Amino acid sequence: MAKNRLYQALSRVTDIHPGEEIIALLLFLYFFFITAPLTILKPLRDAVFLEYLKSENLPYAYATAILVGFVVAFHSKLQVKISRSLLIIFSLLFFIFTGVLFFFLFLSMPQARKMLSLALWIWVNILTAVLVTQFWITVNDVFNPREAKRMIGFFVSGGILGGISGGLITGIISESNTPYGLLLLSAGFLILCVLMVNLIFIRKKKNPLHLEETKGLSEKVGFRDCFFTVSKDHYLRLLAAVVAITAVVSTFIDWQYKHIIERSQSVNTNMASFFGFFSAGILVLPFFLQLLFTGKLIKRFGIRITLLFFPLILLLCSLGIAVWPVLIFAIFIKGSDKSLSYSINQSSRELLYIPVFPQIKYKAKIFIDMFLSRFAKSFGAGLLLALFGMLSVLGVDLNDPNSTKIKVIAVSLFSAFLLLIWILLNLKVSREYISTVKQNIKLKWGRADRTVDEKLDIDYTKLVFDTLESKNRSSVLYALHVFDLLQQEKLTPELKKIISQKTDEVKLSALDDLFEAEGAAWVHGIEDELDEENLKTDISDIMSMEAYHQIMNIHAEQVMEKSKEAETEKMELAKVISLMDSDSPLVVKLEDLIYDDSPEVSRYAIESAAKLKKKELIPAIIHKLSNPLTKEDAITGLLKYGDVATDILKKYLEDSGKDLEQRKAIIIILSRLGSQSATDVLASELEKNREDLATEIIDALDRIHSEKPAIHIKTKIIRRTFLYLIKKYYKAFLEYDERKASRKKDETEESLKISLGISLMNIFKLLGFIYPHEDIVKAYQNIKTGTKHSVAYAIELLDNTMKKDDRDLILPIIEDLPSHDREKLFRQLLKNFPKK
Amino acid sequence: MRINLREKENVVILDISGEIRRSDITNVTLHQMVKDQLAAEKINILLNLEEVEFIDSFGVGEILASYISTQNIGGKLKLSKISKKLYLIFQVTALTKVLEIYDNEETALDSFSSS
Repeated sequence: MAKNRLYQALSRVTDIHPGEEIIALLLFLYFFFITAPLTILKPLRDAVFLEYLKSENLPYAYATAILVGFVVAFHSKLQVKISRSLLIIFSLLFFIFTGVLFFFLFLSMPQARKMLSLALWIWVNILTAVLVTQFWITVNDVFNPREAKRMIGFFVSGGILGGISGGLITGIISESNTPYGLLLLSAGFLILCVLMVNLIFIRKKKNPLHLEETKGLSEKVGFRDCFFTVSKDHYLRLLAAVVAITAVVSTFIDWQYKHIIERSQSVNTNMASFFGFFSAGILVLPFFLQLLFTGKLIKRFGIRITLLFFPLILLLCSLGIAVWPVLIFAIFIKGSDKSLSYSINQSSRELLYIPVFPQIKYKAKIFIDMFLSRFAKSFGAGLLLALFGMLSVLGVDLNDPNSTKIKVIAVSLFSAFLLLIWILLNLKVSREYISTVKQNIKLKWGRADRTVDEKLDIDYTKLVFDTLESKNRSSVLYALHVFDLLQQEKLTPELKKIISQKTDEVKLSALDDLFEAEGAAWVHGIEDELDEENLKTDISDIMSMEAYHQIMNIHAEQVMEKSKEAETEKMELAKVISLMDSDSPLVVKLEDLIYDDSPEVSRYAIESAAKLKKKELIPAIIHKLSNPLTKEDAITGLLKYGDVATDILKKYLEDSGKDLEQRKAIIIILSRLGSQSATDVLASELEKNREDLATEIIDALDRIHSEKPAIHIKTKIIRRTFLYLIKKYYKAFLEYDERKASRKKDETEESLKISLGISLMNIFKLLGFIYPHEDIVKAYQNIKTGTKHSVAYAIELLDNTMKKDDRDLILPIIEDLPSHDREKLFRQLLKNFPKK
Repeated sequence: MRINLREKENVVILDISGEIRRSDITNVTLHQMVKDQLAAEKINILLNLEEVEFIDSFGVGEILASYISTQNIGGKLKLSKISKKLYLIFQVTALTKVLEIYDNEETALDSFSSS
């Protein structure tokens, strides 16, 4: 009940699903209790530094970030020895103890405050690097991309809220008291953090799914391993470059801000208090941004565009401060940097890590977030010093208070240059993001019809089985088959051996009766005694003789007059016609033979008609599509006609009065023909939105599209059908949902469920015409049969592949939503359904 | 041809006996029977051919059509206990390159869970 209330309360502010409320709240509080002490300690660090060491020494302080990198390397070595949860708790306890130690040192050793202020600077930076990275690693361990994407705004809001609280506390306390008490307060927050981490890991252990999916993460890795993991992977190298350039630009902005603050008379009297209030005030904006807009922004524009917001705004600010280097602009640029980096940038950057395989991600985060970003800050400090060196060479007196403007402008222009590189890198990394998401899901199966066509010669296979079958039926029919194989040069030695075998040669149960056939003795001789070439010539010569045709014609007349008992003779007749020329007078007998009641006779006649490609026999063969016993033979036969049959097939397909099975079979033939004209026939039939044939036509078009992507299909038809099917899906779902709610399980409910599955398959097949086919097939297969994680990656792929309009229609169908939410969404979508 | 249906370890087993040939089909074809299973979302199918005496070209067509329908929706259709002679013919006609054929039911069932 309490859980339910918590879910209801949290679901008002974030997109969470039932069951996620406790872990989401714990992570929210975890981040809150990290950022509150951070925003307490950072103003204290800055104020103490500017008071005892001045802004001139800031680049040197920035350069100490490299030390943080080395501590991080040590941290990664430590985690080789102890578990993840223990490492986090150990780190927290370490910072609690050292924080208290700093408090006593600042109070008891005033003469050492210069040295202590530098030590505090380094310590705060280490604390920031370690604790924030540990938090994001925990988020990555617990959630998959879709879950993280939904809730990331909520967690970051917790962090921002912590930042606001920490900033306000700092501002208030520092106004009237010694600021060193802030160290004890931070230690208090970190104690609460220990509690949160404990609860999160207890909960994580209880959840077997997460244990299974994070299996292998506990493997111990060293710093070198982390470095090589990043250096070997193109996507991670790009991510590293983005993080590095962000850190360099941030160092530049920080210097501009602090330098202008220090020179400003209005704020330098109580800097700790100013920095505290500034931190709190500047975080109010990102809090609301994060809570209300970041998630929506990412959902609306996707990662690609969202990633550009931050550097673009900083670029505008940098150009602004270059023109107007005053306090208000310094506050504005620092404010933008801080507020956007805590909201949009942090959220979207963390999402970039999500498609990386968990174990690689863990190593990459250690190297990039904990070491590289610190190293980049040091590098940024080096660039600042180099820039000032250059200004000095150009004749600027750096100690002159009037040089502030020139220094700030120079730094701004350099920042603008770096920001342009950052924007380009962001574009590149977002492109790579989609490829990395794709790598997380695999194509589970391909179209089997294609595999069968590629690997098998179906005509040959059937001829072999027919030859064996005929052995038992009639020596004439058998001889005709052997001759057929000979003519097609397919009578291989292996095959000869098989068809020559007698029952007693191979003791097997199957086919026994075949080898007792009357023709077995004749067959036995074909192994090595026949001169195949001479035999082919002799038979062909006989078949071309006029006398032969006259005799055969008389025989045919007699056979056709007989009824059912002449089945074998009719089969022989149909077979022999196939070996004659197409202008033989006997060919006219084929029509009657096709219409014969015996499916065996029919199919021999169909085969002969197809071999001779007699167009006038097409309607008779189409007629045989209705009979399941001759359907496959009729399909194969009609396919042999090629595109010649398309016009006639079209007429039958369009005639709704014709047998449905016959029309479905025509769709199969057209799809296997796969020509442009066959595709056009199918597309125009699809446009009619005929319920009874839609699935077959969509499947046929999908087959053509996957085998011959160059064949053109009108997008207009596809899109119209796509919208029609989506609408139909929504309505069917609502009906299914209503029936399910009434708890009366009946046949309609079951058939609705099956129909929903078929509709979804059809919708995806149509999507395959609009978007990259392989991506859509991959996504569908993983949604249908994948694990929770691969489903999430599949949806992420679709989210980043489809246009917004299509995304808005498809995602409500496939996202993991509570039933009543989905129902509500479908009703809304049906109300405002797109017309075209 | 007679077909008995049973289910084991999430696999529908069709025990076929007699001859899979055009002239032996009475009510429903093998392909139709497989399609009915697929419609009921039973997508792992094993054809037990131990009692099959003969297959003609129609039977081969039925097996291939069933295979295609199953694979196209992400299912698996496999064969077991096929006679030596029939296996030889399947090899000569390259059917073994497409169809998975197992000596016994246990191995066949194991292959469904491992693939």
